Formats: sequence, C-alpha cells, structure tokens
Amino acid sequence: MNRSILAVAGGRKTQSIVDECGSCSEDHRILVLGYTTASQDELATRIRATGVHGHRVEVMGWFAFLLQHLVRPYLPLLYEGRRLAGLNFDGDPGRYAKDAERFLDKDSLAYKLHLAKLAHDVMVSSNDSAIDRLEHIYDEIYIDEVQDLGGWDLEVVQALLQSRLRITMVGDMRQALLSTNIRDPKNRQYRKEKIFAWFQLMEKKGLLEITQKPTTYRSNQVIATFSDSIFDPSLGYAPTVSASTETHPHTGLFTVRESEAIAYAQSLGALCLRHSKSVAKHLDLPFLNFGVTKGRTVDHVLIYPTEKAHKFLSEGTQLEGGAACSLYVGVTRAKHSVAFISDEQLPNFTAWTQQAPRWSTLGA
Amino acid sequence: MITKVVIHGYRKFRHFSVDPDPTMNIIIGDNEAGKSTLLEAIALALSGRIDGRWANDELNPYWFNARDVRDYFAAYAQNPKTPTPSISIELYLDSNDPDVQRMRGIHNSLRNDCPGTKLEVVRNPDYDEEFAAYMADPNRPNVLPTEYFEATWKDFNDIPLRRRPTALGLSVIDSRTIRSKSGVDYHTREILSSFLEPKERAAISVAHRKSRYEMTTSVLNSLNDKIREGSEALHDAPIGLTMDQSARASWESGVVPQVGEVPFVMAGQGQQASIKVALAMKRRAESARTVLIEEPETNLAYSRLQKLLNRVEVLAGESQQLFITTHSSFVLNRLGLNKLICLHGDATSRLTDLGDGTVSYFKHLSGYDTLRLVLASRLVLVEGPSDEMIFKRGYFDKYRKYPESDGIDVISMNGITFKRALELCARLDRDVVALQDNDGTPAAEIIGELSEYTSEIRQIYVGVSTLGKTLEPQLIQVNGVEKMRKILGLRAQDNPETWMPNHKTEGALRILQSQETVVMPPYIQQAIEHFA
Repeated sequence: MNRSILAVAGGRKTQSIVDECGSCSEDHRILVLGYTTASQDELATRIRATGVHGHRVEVMGWFAFLLQHLVRPYLPLLYEGRRLAGLNFDGDPGRYAKDAERFLDKDSLAYKLHLAKLAHDVMVSSNDSAIDRLEHIYDEIYIDEVQDLGGWDLEVVQALLQSRLRITMVGDMRQALLSTNIRDPKNRQYRKEKIFAWFQLMEKKGLLEITQKPTTYRSNQVIATFSDSIFDPSLGYAPTVSASTETHPHTGLFTVRESEAIAYAQSLGALCLRHSKSVAKHLDLPFLNFGVTKGRTVDHVLIYPTEKAHKFLSEGTQLEGGAACSLYVGVTRAKHSVAFISDEQLPNFTAWTQQAPRWSTLGA
Repeated sequence: MITKVVIHGYRKFRHFSVDPDPTMNIIIGDNEAGKSTLLEAIALALSGRIDGRWANDELNPYWFNARDVRDYFAAYAQNPKTPTPSISIELYLDSNDPDVQRMRGIHNSLRNDCPGTKLEVVRNPDYDEEFAAYMADPNRPNVLPTEYFEATWKDFNDIPLRRRPTALGLSVIDSRTIRSKSGVDYHTREILSSFLEPKERAAISVAHRKSRYEMTTSVLNSLNDKIREGSEALHDAPIGLTMDQSARASWESGVVPQVGEVPFVMAGQGQQASIKVALAMKRRAESARTVLIEEPETNLAYSRLQKLLNRVEVLAGESQQLFITTHSSFVLNRLGLNKLICLHGDATSRLTDLGDGTVSYFKHLSGYDTLRLVLASRLVLVEGPSDEMIFKRGYFDKYRKYPESDGIDVISMNGITFKRALELCARLDRDVVALQDNDGTPAAEIIGELSEYTSEIRQIYVGVSTLGKTLEPQLIQVNGVEKMRKILGLRAQDNPETWMPNHKTEGALRILQSQETVVMPPYIQQAIEHFA
C-alpha cells in the first residue's frame, strides 16, 4: 500500500527514509526523490552510510525525475521532432505561449515553470508507457518533503499512486514553505498546507494510507504544544508529543524586550529568526529567515514576530496558512526554549530580564 | 537480448534491418556480403567502440555507404542543400533488467517503445562553415570530410552513453586476429577482465604493483647506487632506474593467459579461438549477453572445430545471444540450419520455418555442402557427378557456354534426398531444377510426392521409365548403341549397355569431352530449357 507519512518537525522524517532504504532486500530497487539539492545530498550521504549499494537506492531531485523519466523518453510522442536538451531554471515563456513553445525554449530546454504540466502531458501521450517504464526500473519510490509539491506535480504523483510502484511520501504540511511552482493554477485548493486535504482525498480513493507521526524527538513538550496552537484546531492535525529527554537550565517560552534582545541572544547563543528581510530591520542581530532554517536543530531561538504573529501571540487571532507554516518552522527549530522580541507582556510567556535571576525556569 | 538491428548508411548497408534469433544467429553470405560488417555494427552500437577504439577516433570516409556518398555528390551539384549522408546503427533490446529498462524510450527510427542503443554519425554543426568551404572547393575529391562529422552514442532515452552499460555484456571472438604485440588483444582483455570479480581484479593489481615496487627496492637499488656515482657530475639531481608504476604498467598488460606451459599469444591461433570461447563461457553470469564470433572455422582442424562448436552450443543455451559468421557448411549444419541469416546486400533471408526433421537431418550430415546450396541463386540438383557432367555438356551444346558462367550452380546430391534439398530451396525461394532418375518408379509418382516444394521456378524432371531406369540406359536409348559406342570411344566388342553402368563417371567425362554430337534424354533437355 502507498503511504503518506506526515510527521511533525523533529519527527525524524529523513531518518525514517534512510532506515527503510538501509534495510531493504537485496533485489529491491528504490528511487528517493528530494526537493532541494541540500536535502538530496544529505539523503544520499546518509543512505550510503548504511552500506546500501548505490545501485539499489538512487537519490534524485524532483525536477530531474520529471525530466529524465517522464519527459525525455517520450517527448516526441507529444511534440513531434522535439528532443529535450535540459532545464531552463528561471525562464518564462510568457502568458500567451502555446503548445511546445509554452514548455520548451528555443534551445529545447524545458521551462521549470511548466515542467510538471509537460511531464503530465508527455505521460498521457505515452499511453502509460512512461509509468510502465518506471515500473520496470524501480520497485519503490520515496518522495521526501512532499508538502512542497503542488499544482500539476500532484497529478503526476496521482499517476504514480495508481501504478504498481509502491509510493511512500514523507512530509509535514505544517512546513509547507517552498513550492515547486507558485504560479501553477492547477489544484489551487490544495496549495501548501492544504495538501493535507489532497492526501485525505487520495486516501478516500483508496490510493494511499495517511499515517500521522506526532512525536518530536527535538523540542520539549512545552514548545511542542505551543507549536500545535499555531494551527487552527479544525485542520485536524494530531497533537504533538515530545519524546525529548534532554534537559537544559533555560527552558520554556519567553518574551524579551527589544532593548535586551542583543543581550539575550548573546548570553544564550540563540538562533535569531524572522519571517523575512522586511521585519526587524532596525535591530542589529544576525537574523535568518524562517525558510532557510528548515531541517536545522538548535537549543534556543529568538524570534522577531510580524505584526500578525504578534496579534496571534497576544490575542490568539489565527494566522493564515503561509504565515502559520513559517512561524511553525521557526518555533520548532528549538530544543529547549523559544523567545519572542516584544515589549508587551504575552499570555503564557515568561518575561526575561537581565536583572532577574539569570536562568529562570518554567514549571521547575 | 537484441530483437532488432536497424542500419542506415553504414558501409554495405543502405537500409538494413534484421530480427535476430534470441539464442543463435549464423550469418552467411558471399564474400563482401557484409557478414563482418554486421558484427562490427553490432559491436559499435553496443560498446561505442570498434576494435577497442572509440568510434570518433576511427571515423573515416569508408564508413559511409558508397552509394549514399555518390548520390550525395551528384545531388549536391544540383542543390547544395541536399542533406549530407549519415550513419545510424540501432539495436532494439528486450530485457526486464531494470538497468536495461533505463535505456528505454522512443528515440529510435521506428518509434518503438523499448530499451536500446544507437550509434549515429552526423555532420557536426560546429563545422558548418568549414564543411561548406570544403564542398565549394572545385578541386575537392568526391570524398566526405569526416573531420566535420561526429559520432554520437546514445540510448533510446536520448541520453549519451560514455561507457558500455554494465547490463549489456559483449564478447568478441575473432579467430582471424593477428597476433598483437601488446600481449593480448583488446577483445580478449575485455573477456578476461569481465571474467574476474572487481575484488579479484583489485587484488591482482595490488600484488602486481607490490612486486614491481619490490624490484625497485631490491635489485635496482644497488644498480642505482652505481649509476648515482657516475652521474653526479652530469646532472644536479641523481639519476636512477625504477619500475614503471604508471597506468601503462597495469597488470592487464603484464599478466597474460597461459595455455599449458605456453603463453597465450604463442599458442596456435586455433587454440586461441578455443580459449576465447571457453573464457567467454565462464564470464560472470550478469555479463556477456551478446557474443560475436567471427569465422570460428579459421585455423581449426576438424576435430578441434567439433569441440569448439560443442562449446558454442552450450554457450547459446546460457541466456546469451550469439552471432556467428561462417564460410563453413560444417559450422552451419552443425549449429542448425534454421538459425541462419543469409545476407545479400540490404536483404536477408532466413530459414526459420524449416522443419525440425530437416534441421536435425543436416546436423547429422554435417559434412554436406549446404552453404553452396544456400548461397546459389539458381541451381541444378543432380544425383551424382555423372549427371552433373552430362547436364553441363547439354547446357554447353545449347547455349555455347557452361552453366557456371550464367551463375547456375550444379550440385550433386551425394546421398542427400531431393526432398530435404528441395525443402531448403523452397524456404529460400531459390530458382532450382532437380534432375532425378526414375529407378523404376513412374515419373508422375515421384513428381507428385515432391509437389509440396515445386513451383514455377522450382521444377523436378524425372526420366520417363520407358527410356530406362537411370541416366545411362536413357542416353543409349536416345543416341542408339552404335552412336554411343562412338561417343564413348569404345572398341567394337564393348557393349555400352554393360560398360556404362560399370564406368559411370568415366563415361560421363568422355561424353563431356566428346567431339561427337550427343542427344540428351528429354528430361535433361527440359531442365536445360528451364534456364532459357
């Protein structure tokens, strides 16, 4: 059965793929699809480390997969006489480009922008040959960071789900920050965190089984519970359970006054985060945007909240999807403590001051 | 496994296509029919190499089909935009091996969805200007400048190949190879190295390197001391000798196979061929799926050839696909007539629907010259040498030349039944006449029995029983005893009726050389008329 494993931040998603690849049987052929180059490299290195022969487990990027296994072999069946030369990473054929011109530039490089649609069209033109070909090459396909797929990608995934290949998708809709193609109008209703609804639809069709893995091995329970509250309870995400056993003298949720932010960051070595460059320009701290810290683990984070995030923190106003995902990624980097820069006292947060006993603990 | 070979514009082949047998293919044909070229083409598309060298390094004007080139130069004079000749060799594969399936796609001339490899030689667009300048030169020869062409080697997924995919094994066994100075020729080295596990190869390599190093540190050390003393005055840095540790000194060139006590290269060529076949057989199971064997009969005595063919048969049974060229009827009969691919230019003929009985019949009569029968386009089947000579005489009297000069081959049956021979000819759709004695059976009965194989171009003529059971009485009947005695140059007391059956061949020879006019029995006359 195909699986959709949705795990929380710190849920060892990548590790679960590595473990399964490492213990697969000798004659099993596995393809692992990562989204970013960094995650592909990490997957490849960790899978090799388990001693699996490179022959049996292959790691590839999503775009490379679309190009090599779906577009290239059968492209002439859709566009007679055309051959694929490669990928046009940031080109745009324009809104009115039609037929082949919409998908391939003059050097026959495929526009990344419409690649999934092209892959889907070629797949349809090939009369299932493209899928049959894949079935002959691989037994199983893992798709990591599946929440980043959207639009026509989902149509391709659905075709894979309907094939004889065993598909395992691993991801976390709470961390849907990147997207393969933000301009793709297809499957608009399942964009980003709403991909959960698409998984539920596929499950209803009997194409896959959703498993939620609400255990985090990174954050403590206080942070985990707080991270859950970022999302509307009606979304139906299972509450996160912490399996972390590490302790630290500075643990919990804090507010830090702007004037003391630098002192806080320095004394704890906290990772400073913000939504984007436009936030907290006036503070001289080494801020990183939420998006780039995906996959990282630190002891403490210090976040400069956006106005909306502040409103959520102070009054409980739910954030919309994208903003909630960003904040969730930021919060869940931390093992021990999460602090927000705010001159205002926030409910359920401990105010941190330099005068106060240096290591205040919550509940201990 | 190769299911189809399609060749365009390569040497002999203008537009060639053949669907090989999954296990064994015996390729026959006249000289220059393209037998070796076909094997060469398969090796090229499978390995990107020819005799161990990359296609691009070996590219030369003679690779292009001569007629293509001639037509191009003629058409170019009229229209310089005429497309330049190109070469394409495609191998269509069938395999469920996942690694072979990676080579699947529709990038082939037939648009088939299957795995495959292709080697193409096309004009390199980087040299468009140079090419145009060359063609515009009024003094240029009508030869294609291959410097401006480029060989590309890809799979059917349109991905360039850089080395032979491990899933596609290839062994080339060519008994005609001239002894190479570098120890072992490329193909044998290929066979040898695929015979070894990677770990074993590494172990040999390490030991080899070590022994070379030891030589440097032991024997050469004292020698180097001596050299150093004398050379200090000549050069700043001391000069010394060391064993070559570069890639050139790899174990492959230093370690050679040995037969008994004799190094491989010193062994007889026939023996070398046997060894290569033996090595190809013992390759690791996952490699060597395609085995190309050139003329296994070369340099081999009968008994050795017999042994070699036994091995080849075993090889064919081990999920390997064999392609064998041969000039030997023995090889052909022995390995199975039904596996033959007869080449003539771009056309091929096969014997795939030949009855099992006939196949095994010729296997047991492996000495029979089947190849002659298969290669002849028009032929006359006669019972024995005397019939052959009489037919030739009659033919000469009628056309003032012998049948050979009209491309008609007269073949003695030598004990092969007319039925088997005619079945073969029918399958090959040959123009054939069979001449048979009635031996006491009514002619109509004999002809009726073989009607399955006869047609407009395939006729059987049998002597009518009223004129005698065999050729000799028939000749006497139509010429008269007196005349016959004269033709044969017999003494008056000799009776042709008793002399002839006892001196069949001698009599036929005398008739062939006789200055007298000879009347031919009606059935022989009919046969001669057949070729009018």
